[in-house]
Amino acid sequence: MDAVIEYGDVGKFILELLNDYDVIAPVEKDNRYIFEQVDDPSKIVHNYDTTILPPVKWIYPNNEVLLRFKLSDLTEVKPVNAFRNQVLLFVHPCDINAINIMDEILAEEPADTNYLARRRSSIIIGYDCACPCRENILCFDKGYHKADKGFDIFFTDLGNRFFVSTATDIGKTIVEKSNAFSKAGYSDKTGLTKTNWERDSAFKKKIHGDINRLSHVLKDEYEDAVWEVEGKKCLSCGACVIVCPTCYCFDVVDEVCPDMETGLRYRRWDGCQIQDFCLVASGENFRDSAAERVRHRVFKKEVYLKKRFGRSGCVGCGRCIEHCIADISIIDIFNHVMERKKGHGEI
Amino acid sequence: MERSNLLPRPATIVDIRQLTDKEKLFTIRINDGGSIRYRPCQFVIFSIFGIGEAPISITSSPLDSEETIELCIRSAGNLTGAIHKLSLNDRIGIRGPFGNGFPLERIDGKDILIVAGGLGLAPLRSLINYIIHHRWKYGKVTILIGAKRPQDILFKEEVLRWEDDSSIETFIAVDLAETNWTRHVGVITGLFKYIDVDPLNTIAAVVGPPVMYRFVVAELLAKGIFEGNIFMSFERRMRCGIGKCGHCQINGIYLCQNGPVLSYRDARKLQEAL
Repeated sequence: MDAVIEYGDVGKFILELLNDYDVIAPVEKDNRYIFEQVDDPSKIVHNYDTTILPPVKWIYPNNEVLLRFKLSDLTEVKPVNAFRNQVLLFVHPCDINAINIMDEILAEEPADTNYLARRRSSIIIGYDCACPCRENILCFDKGYHKADKGFDIFFTDLGNRFFVSTATDIGKTIVEKSNAFSKAGYSDKTGLTKTNWERDSAFKKKIHGDINRLSHVLKDEYEDAVWEVEGKKCLSCGACVIVCPTCYCFDVVDEVCPDMETGLRYRRWDGCQIQDFCLVASGENFRDSAAERVRHRVFKKEVYLKKRFGRSGCVGCGRCIEHCIADISIIDIFNHVMERKKGHGEI
Repeated sequence: MERSNLLPRPATIVDIRQLTDKEKLFTIRINDGGSIRYRPCQFVIFSIFGIGEAPISITSSPLDSEETIELCIRSAGNLTGAIHKLSLNDRIGIRGPFGNGFPLERIDGKDILIVAGGLGLAPLRSLINYIIHHRWKYGKVTILIGAKRPQDILFKEEVLRWEDDSSIETFIAVDLAETNWTRHVGVITGLFKYIDVDPLNTIAAVVGPPVMYRFVVAELLAKGIFEGNIFMSFERRMRCGIGKCGHCQINGIYLCQNGPVLSYRDARKLQEAL
């Protein structure tokens, strides 16, 4: 269903959402943006660049409680997997595509049942990018600067009002139930076509050569010196994997409450860039050097996930580049290996 | 309520035996009355609520019992240290079994060569007892066992029984021994000179510390055994058992799902495996 909403009516719509859902939306924080639960629509910004953490982390939260138990009665260990309904509001296409990738990975049997339960309780309202948000992004190279699925409702800024399309039954119901929307007219539809066309010409490619060849090229460069070079720079802080919208590695931790009676098991984000990620009890560390770990991160996204699911696991949001304090850039790494291949006349 | 793939089944410790100064054998019964079916070289994830979880390979044979499993556990870290302090009738949690296990469908009628270094005997004991149970189904069965010292040999009484069993050949090597030790002294690869192998009909099963694999595989290949007939079980850190947490990933595969048993032919293609 196609509708439009006037700029001034968006607040009214969000207030309606707040009656039924937790609303998670982009807000400003210290000159940056984050996704946060809001109860005041005026705090929400829609013209943000990229949030520090991606919105998918609201479906895959850190320190998520998995089980609760009582030490005196271990016959009742209860899983925690019923969640409040939430709306993720104004999610950019790269982050919607990331959620699509996470869905596919985590729904694969044996499924991540906690993720799926939260995912089912989440409604996603997308927000189109009219132009590149920052310099170091490669969403356009990967075709992830626009989303064609993975959202319930989608907002596009036409310059005078928002065009609103719905993609699911629940999305349609929400828009139909609200009186903040009106029917899209002919000029709105032509406006959408024009906006989409202008968007596509506003982006520029960052990768030298054919991105579809990247996976093959990387495979041949497993022993390349670039991993040692980048590994020497890497501080193994794990920032890149924590901000990544398609990283899902975790550790499981038990905690006993101060009453020494009730306890909980939770999972916290972990990452393959952390030094002891592959350390076992015998003292063996199976990915001991930073060079191996940097290579694993890049290969996981571009080679291993691509082989399993037929598409790259990196949406090109650029967060790993922006948050790397050692200036490691996957764009530079990709271009290095592509140029090397070109130098050999192989592509 | 939705199901949870991370929820352990409640279980009880029904027997504890001290095997060596570092290893204990625990017999676990599943409390829900259901059965636990598995293959040799599969593993479970052991929970002590309030402490945590760790993957432990199953050492009993699937033909022993469907209600209980045996786990041979070395006290090495936080959780295994806590497991060693458990008593009879303590309640714990079990998830799994996980992993592919040993490819039993590929070994009927074959000669079986088992190479067990140190704690590697724990998962291989499951396979050995499975094979002994159906002894008539297999050709020649040879077991090579390596340990640091004679007192470190796991399941000593059983190993002595295998030595006495005329239907299998068992060889033992220890790195260090007193003068009254009459068997081989040296690393496990030193045992290969005692054995005779039909390379066209032999399946090898190898489990041991990571450093052992390269040397043992070289011996097996030198005997002419095919790369695809050499099976190894790998050890990695694991948190979930469902192919998600990322810790057990070797290049593109998750060991908890696609392993822990890999043929040398497959493992060779994974740069991070060996």
